[in-house]
Parts: sequence; C-alpha cells; structure tokens
Amino acid sequence: MGQISSDLASENVVCENEIKLELYSTTRKSIMEKLEILTDAAKYDVACTSSGVNRKGNGRDMGNCLAAGICHSFSSDGRCISLLKILMSNECVYDCKYCINRRSNDVPRATFTPEEICELTMNFYKRNYIEGFFLSSGIVNNPNDTMERIYQTLYLLRNVYRFRGYVHVKGIPGADPVLIQQTGYLADRMSVNLELPTAEGLEKLAPNKHRKSILKPMRQIQNGIAQGKQELALYKSAPSFVPAGQSTQMIIGATPESDYQIMSVAESLYDKFALKRVFYSAYVGVNEDKALPAVTTASPLLREHRLYQADWLLRYYSFRVNELLNEKHQNFNILLDPKCDWALRHLEQFPVEINKADYTTLLRVPGIGVKSAQRICKARKSSALGFDNLKKIGVVLKRALYFITCNGKMMYHTKIDEDYITRNLLSEHEKLPFDKDGMTYKQLSLFDDGMENAAMFGMAHEGKGTAYV
Amino acid sequence: MCEYVLLCEDSMEGILSGVYEAYRFKKEQGIESHEVIHLAVNNPDTYRLFTDYRTVETNYENADKVINTIRSRLGNEVYYRLCLAMVSCFMEKADAVYHTIVLALRNNDSLIMDRLGEDWVQQTFKYARASSNELGHMIEFTRFAELEGGILYAKINVKHHILPFLMPHFADRLPSENFMIYDENTDVYGIHEKQKQWYLVQGIEIDSERLNLTAAEKDYQELFRRFCKTIAIESRTNKRLQTGFLPLRFRPNMTEFQSP
Repeated sequence: MGQISSDLASENVVCENEIKLELYSTTRKSIMEKLEILTDAAKYDVACTSSGVNRKGNGRDMGNCLAAGICHSFSSDGRCISLLKILMSNECVYDCKYCINRRSNDVPRATFTPEEICELTMNFYKRNYIEGFFLSSGIVNNPNDTMERIYQTLYLLRNVYRFRGYVHVKGIPGADPVLIQQTGYLADRMSVNLELPTAEGLEKLAPNKHRKSILKPMRQIQNGIAQGKQELALYKSAPSFVPAGQSTQMIIGATPESDYQIMSVAESLYDKFALKRVFYSAYVGVNEDKALPAVTTASPLLREHRLYQADWLLRYYSFRVNELLNEKHQNFNILLDPKCDWALRHLEQFPVEINKADYTTLLRVPGIGVKSAQRICKARKSSALGFDNLKKIGVVLKRALYFITCNGKMMYHTKIDEDYITRNLLSEHEKLPFDKDGMTYKQLSLFDDGMENAAMFGMAHEGKGTAYV
Repeated sequence: MCEYVLLCEDSMEGILSGVYEAYRFKKEQGIESHEVIHLAVNNPDTYRLFTDYRTVETNYENADKVINTIRSRLGNEVYYRLCLAMVSCFMEKADAVYHTIVLALRNNDSLIMDRLGEDWVQQTFKYARASSNELGHMIEFTRFAELEGGILYAKINVKHHILPFLMPHFADRLPSENFMIYDENTDVYGIHEKQKQWYLVQGIEIDSERLNLTAAEKDYQELFRRFCKTIAIESRTNKRLQTGFLPLRFRPNMTEFQSP
C-alpha cells in the first residue's frame, strides 16, 4: 500500500506542475492512469459474476465466497460490478480486428505488476467494493509469458496476501498446459474466450487465434475439474481445481451467424465441455475495418437479451435448442421472449393444472420461473392453490393466465388460440432491460415491418429480415 | 366474543415475550382459539370496541424459552426466517409471526415456511423476504472507509433492522479487521474487534472528530470512483437499468456516488 500511496501522492504533486506531468508520464505511469487504461481495456469482457463457490472465512485471513455471487455496484450501463475487472497488460502482440487493444491500434498502453494488482485487490476488498478480481491480459510477448505473469499474480495473492475471496482468470490459448494446470489450482473460475461462434468467423477476424488452440485449454480445464472432484472425494484436503467452473464468451453480431447456430454452439459447450456459463457480448464497434460492421451500427442489444433468455432456458428450464429454433426458424422472435414464443407454438400442451403438473411442466409455463415453480411444488403439498395464492407466490399472472388452470378452472374465460393469446401478450409490453433512455431504440409496434425491425437491432446484414417476425 | 390485543416492544425479544405471554394468557383464561388473540408492536391509532388491550413487558427469560422451543421443534431455518420477519418494518409483523408459530407448533412442522397457502405464513414469508432482500442489498452496497488507526467504518440507513444479520457476514469475511457499522435509523453500532466476537451497542456518542479518514483512504476512494466510471460502456448507457438494480436510496452512503 505504501507503494501505491506514494505513487498517488506524486501524482498529486505532478498535477500542480504541468511540465513535470509530461516527464512523469513518459517514464512511468501512475497507478491511477494504469487503472484507467487497463479498466478501459477490459470493459468489453462480459463475465463479471462471482458465483459458483461457497467458501467460509477461516477466522484469520481476509475473504469468503458465496455461491450465489455478490454484485457490489452497477455501472451507468446497468452492468454489475462484482470483480475488479482489469487487464494485466494491454500491450498485446495480436491483431484481432474487433479488439480495441489490437497491435495496430494507437491507444495508451500500460502493464500492472503483480504487487500492484494484489494491493488494489486487497484494499478494494476490505472496503467492500469488490468480491475479488477478474484478470485477463493482452498477449505480452507470447502466450506462455502472459500465462506465467497471471499465475505469478495469483500465487502472490493467494499465498503471500492470503486472499480467500473470488478469483476469475483467463486461460490464455496456446499457453503451456502445466501453467494452466497450476493456475487452475489457485483460481475459482477460469474462462477461455471462444471469441466468435464459428471457426470461420474466428479465422476472418482474429488471424492470430485458432479454434483448436481455444478448445484445447477448455478441454484441459474440463478434465481438470472432473479429476479434481474425484480427488476431493478421495482426499478431503486435495486442492480444489477451478471450483466455480469454467465459462466462455462470444461476440454477437460481428459475424453473420444465426441465433440457431449460436445457441447450438452454446448447447454443445454445455454438453461436451461441461461449461458453467456461456456469455454473449453484443458487438460494440470500436475499430474501423472492412471485415467488421460499421462503427456506427447499433449494438444488437435485443438480440443479446434474447440469447441470454434462451441460455437460461437451456440451463435451468431443461429446454433443448431444437425445441426453440430449427433450420426453418433460425432466429428468435423479437417481439416475444423465447419461452412465450415456444409456448404459443405448442398450445396443445396447455393449459396445465397448477395443483397437479410436475415441476418441469410448470417451468415451461410463461410467467412461472424457477423460484415460483419450486414454491408452488412445496406449497401445494399442504393445500390446493388458487390464483390469489399464485399471485402472492410471485407468478406473473398476466402472462401465465392463458396457460394454466387452478383446480380445473382458468382464471378468466379465455380462448386457447394462438392469435388471441399473442395479441394479448403483446399488449402487455414486455419489460426489456433497455429503452429510450439514451438508447437508439424506439418503442416496438406491431405494425413495424420485419425488415425495419431487423435493421433497427443491427441484424440486417443477413438479409433474412422476415425470419424475425 | 371478545378479542385480545397484546402490545409488545418492537424488538425480537419483545415480540417473543409477547408470544410467550399469549400462550400463558390463553391457558390462564381458558380461551379456546389463538385466533382471538393478537400481538401488536405499536399502540393502535384507534382502539376497537369489545377488545381487551394489554401491555406485555419484555422478558428475556421468556423470550429465550420461546426461542429454544422454536429451534428444537421447528429447526434453525424456520427460526432464521421468523427472525428476519421480526426485524422488518411492517406493523402487523408480530401478529403474523405469532400465528405462524401457533400453526407450526401444532404438528412440529419444520417446513412451515413452505406452506404459502396459509394466510399467516404468506404474510410472515412476505415480511421475511423484505428483510432478506434488504440484507442482500446491504451485503452488496455497504462501503467501508478506513479511519486513522486502521478501523473500517461504514454507515447504513436501512428500512428493516437487519444489522444483526449483516454483522456475521462481515465478521466471517474480515476476521482480522477492526470494523464498525453504524445504522443511522436505529442509532445502533455493530462493532467487531479483530479476531473477536462482534456485538451491538445502542445510543453511544462517538466523537465525530475521531472519524478522520487516512490519506490512503481518499486515494482508494478516488481509484474506485474512476474504476466504476471507466468500466461502463458508453454506447450501452442505461441509467434506468442501473437504477433498477441499485435504487437511489442506497447511494448517499456509497463511495462511488460521492464527489470527492
């Protein structure tokens, strides 16, 4: 801390004298500048969750973890701030077209030392600013050097600073498996970025990265986790390997994949690589490049939102991608969430009786979420539930009422007819996480032509506008 | 038919003393049903006719007896939910908790909080959920500042009196720190000394001159403010979403929303 404080103090002195500032910043950057540069460089990374691991305090060292995760703040874009999300360095030797830190960009560069990162983490943590850190990095020299620095930082934090909070680090594709293995024993979560949904997209936009070298560490981490679980079962004191699981992220809208392709990739990542989470990042244009959408193209936020909704359906609602989308129906409906959309196309399965239907059937009813379904299953054991009970339990009745009966009766006299229900559901404006407040979106209207909508959400480059309606 | 209202103090011990008294009173008077007995934590604005109002003094011994009964017959999970309901800010909480306990003890039902079909349980559930949500918020949004002498100090303003639930979280997390959390609404301090058990103190005066921040503290506050500002993606600015997750009422005590 002494180090940082003196750096900061010297910055204050420098501010009074402008000429000195020049000299100072060319020789060595202050912590404040570095933090700004390396936060700015890391902000497009999506994952900022601190979930997946329960670790109680040990009565001596700082830190614990809660499986549900804790968000400590929310930035002005409404995203959660849970971890100190920074790059170790943005002095990257790669030249990925979509990335702000690519070699060919003229942006301020900086690198943190392991000690600086540890000091920041410990001091932020004890003030309850953060749950831990999220460390990624541009490729310094080569993947091995980069991974080694990440490992050193983590080693210092865990063994010298004795930090027990949450740590999420990136696995650098192409790094020595031994380094990834060693890092895995110190981290709670590791992620290797898939970057783009398909290998072709990757080849086009990230010439230095290869699908194979991304999937290799992913597989290694998966095997490590599986093996670690086995060892833990045998020896209680075996060190845990990436206990909060593995995640990845992909950029949406920079390449022309359909929602169907993207969700299929996500599904196979969950199935075959046992990932905990797949994150989707609506493409934000930062670089002018002929291979990329124009910088002025609006980020496909609605599309990102639909993908997350569908992702939830895969992970918690036991849906399969093939139920939601197929070859003919390649993209999500922009007007309805994926679950409503599915329910409307499967009206033959409704209405379901709240007091009899099993848990998984309840989960498929629009307006009933995981918590409500669990509460219903528990509560109906002691007494039959009516609509007023459902409302208090947390069921969104204005959506659910078309699909359910309580004790054999529907809430109102409603038709089970696709057009009729669609009309009614659409008149209840869906609560979307973004609106006109500083955004470019206008209110959705039924009379919008499909093509126009697609263009509005930055999805027009496929020329399949009608598929969205 | 006459109804009875027992007025008790607005605290966990007060309400539990009320529960004890209600059982005792029912037996003594030979009243048939608990339904005619009510607990209240405040004097009512208007007194009802044909209703017998009585005041219950807080009695720690009686409260302890009730706690032991709840814990041994219904389990710690039920006890925890009931406590959360009892610290909430709702006027009818004492009555709801009392009748939930009556329902649960009838057949030692440790799953009582799942029986949302019952009105009393539903109410208690609602109150406990409100407290538990605010507890969740304070676990996220409490901000410590380092005072001279190395003490971490945080001020909170909460609707529900969740400080007793907040302290164990931070005591587990920061076992080797001296820290205190001040709830301005109730004027209660939660105090944790390094490696020791935490405790609550009410109504003490702390010399505001002794609440001086260290020099490094101001730097870290500035670092965090800049971090929060930089991490946001400008083209995705969405204040409404931010406010939905982080309501304005929490912000006066949060570092990142203060100007230096």
